[in-house]
Amino acid sequence: MSEWLESAIARAQGINDWLAPKRAHALELLANTKWPTRKTEAWRYTPLRPVERTQAKVITDKVELLPVAIADLSAIELVFVNGQFDQTQLAKTLPEGVSISLGGDLDTAQQAEALHAFSTIKPERHIFGLVNDALAQDVVVVTVAEGVEITQPIRISSLLSQGAESHTRVQVTLAAGSRLTVIEDVQAQGDSFNTAFVEYKVAANASLEHYRFALQTGSNVSIGGSHFNLHDHAKMHSTLVGFGSELSRLDTDIIHAGEFADAKLNAMYLLDGKELFDLHATVEHAMPNGKTEENVRCIVADRSRAIFNGRIHIHRDAQKTLAELNNRNLLLSDKAEINTKPELEIYADDVKCAHGATVAQIDKQALYYLQTRGVSRSKAQVMLNFGFINELIDLMPNAALAEWIRPIIRERFAQMEVK
Amino acid sequence: MSNTKSLLTIKDLHASVEEKQIIKGLDLDIKPGEVHAIMGPNGAGKSTLGYVLSGRDGYSVDSGSVTLDGEDLLDMETEDRARAGLFLAFQYPVEIPGVSNLEFLKASVDAQRQARGEDAITSADFLKEAKAACKQVNLPVAFLKRGVNEGFSGGEKKRNELMQMLLLKPKLCILDETDSGLDIDALQIVAEGVNSQRSADRSFIVVTHYQRLLDYIKPDFVHVLSDGKIVKSGDASLALELEAQGYAWLQKEPVEDELEG
Repeated sequence: MSEWLESAIARAQGINDWLAPKRAHALELLANTKWPTRKTEAWRYTPLRPVERTQAKVITDKVELLPVAIADLSAIELVFVNGQFDQTQLAKTLPEGVSISLGGDLDTAQQAEALHAFSTIKPERHIFGLVNDALAQDVVVVTVAEGVEITQPIRISSLLSQGAESHTRVQVTLAAGSRLTVIEDVQAQGDSFNTAFVEYKVAANASLEHYRFALQTGSNVSIGGSHFNLHDHAKMHSTLVGFGSELSRLDTDIIHAGEFADAKLNAMYLLDGKELFDLHATVEHAMPNGKTEENVRCIVADRSRAIFNGRIHIHRDAQKTLAELNNRNLLLSDKAEINTKPELEIYADDVKCAHGATVAQIDKQALYYLQTRGVSRSKAQVMLNFGFINELIDLMPNAALAEWIRPIIRERFAQMEVK
Repeated sequence: MSNTKSLLTIKDLHASVEEKQIIKGLDLDIKPGEVHAIMGPNGAGKSTLGYVLSGRDGYSVDSGSVTLDGEDLLDMETEDRARAGLFLAFQYPVEIPGVSNLEFLKASVDAQRQARGEDAITSADFLKEAKAACKQVNLPVAFLKRGVNEGFSGGEKKRNELMQMLLLKPKLCILDETDSGLDIDALQIVAEGVNSQRSADRSFIVVTHYQRLLDYIKPDFVHVLSDGKIVKSGDASLALELEAQGYAWLQKEPVEDELEG
């Protein structure tokens, strides 16, 4: 076990609050978990040295940080500053049918429900998920009432100042027939360390539009997950945009817990320098008639490293499942690295399931074509890289977010190109 | 031949692809405003000529010289050749999903404007020009929003090439088998577009296997390319002769004809 984990466990041991049973459970599991090494499959390509030597510290002093503004986006802001939920940044009045509260402020029945969700949506296999179980200061609980459609997105921002450590946790419950958009975002200054986990329960006929932006770069360690539980006829559409940092690791778990659920996941990550980004996406088809479509695209430049593990598990009873996983990768340098591993595990015999993974270099024909029109080679490269990703940006349902992220990505490609 | 300055001069060009010699001593002289057709059997090197002139990777010049407007073309990067006024309309234009046609067209126009020391065109002005160009080549305006050539039919791709030509206003256009895969209606649209661009300061090289296209785009000169060099040159009537007799008689003939038209 690492020194870092030992000290984390020691810090968690004294906390006595409504989450105490869950903290105790997590600590028990952690005590029996080996610190991941190169031989640990889930961390094989992601060395944990940056965690072992992090100097990040929990900062309890009040710090003023605001989430970046996004033009044309009016969101309900749910803000964490250095791991603490900043209630002052939450609107005084919320649209009817939405509630946002700290778990500690809930009544006993509501807490019991939150505790139940705590152990059913996020799998327990993730060591930093357990760390988050043990160290998250509280859980912010978001609920949308039955049949309510909330047009204003909720944006969950985790803001970190220089050298800060933070562990945040949010539970989102969409009651039957409701609709909601949630944006998750981490904005971290240098040398910080965070774990950020959000769990979603999408009840029957409910529909979730989800975004996760992991745009922190540089000397940050950012580990987190978005976990979804889909019930009968539930729908989710998720978009992930990631830049790498010293260590960025994201786990998504989608559980088809009901029939006829429909899940879409479009993920794109763009790495430069010595950055690392590791995406583990797991889909559990536990019930029949579910549908999953995953598109994962990745561009790696310079000496960066990308890891993608895409697992689709179709249980014995999950007949008539349709599942598709498509992973395409673009290598911009011969020192960059892509480790991709699509895994299909199918125990039902009447399903349609397809997967593909490709690693390619830039399309030389397309490059030549652009050059014959006068576009410089370097500009043409930026255009083609952007085009590779832009196909997925075009699929983002929220136009304001698409317009916001496009120039950010373009700028990133322009930076890559100077190397 | 008048004493006007040549636009393109190719002298004793030898070029190869993957160490196989394809162009074997080609000479060609084109003056501003002229339309030259290059015909020839499959494998003669017709498409290779376009690729060599545009500077495609993998196509290497072994000897000879090419000047465009007096400048050494072979010394330039592909994009600089385009900026110097060379335009190659492809037989099979590549599809680029994710890059919108409009973005692509504007980037091309801007690159060439900047090379001339002009400012980038404003988006609004460019959109106006692009819409007008769409109309002229009979492509729905919606095609500007689509990925470059993505899912376009063969005819639509050719019209998209033509639209680029209208917007870029090159000095020398090489049309590489622009007629292939086109029905007669599409052929007429493309030919009308090309004819509308004929002017005293713009020249064309029309590369084609069949005479049909030349019914619509009347060439000033016709050259027959066979085994990497021009084996016969003449006026438009040579194309009709080829249509009637095929290429075989030329390939057998000793190559001592006049090379210049």
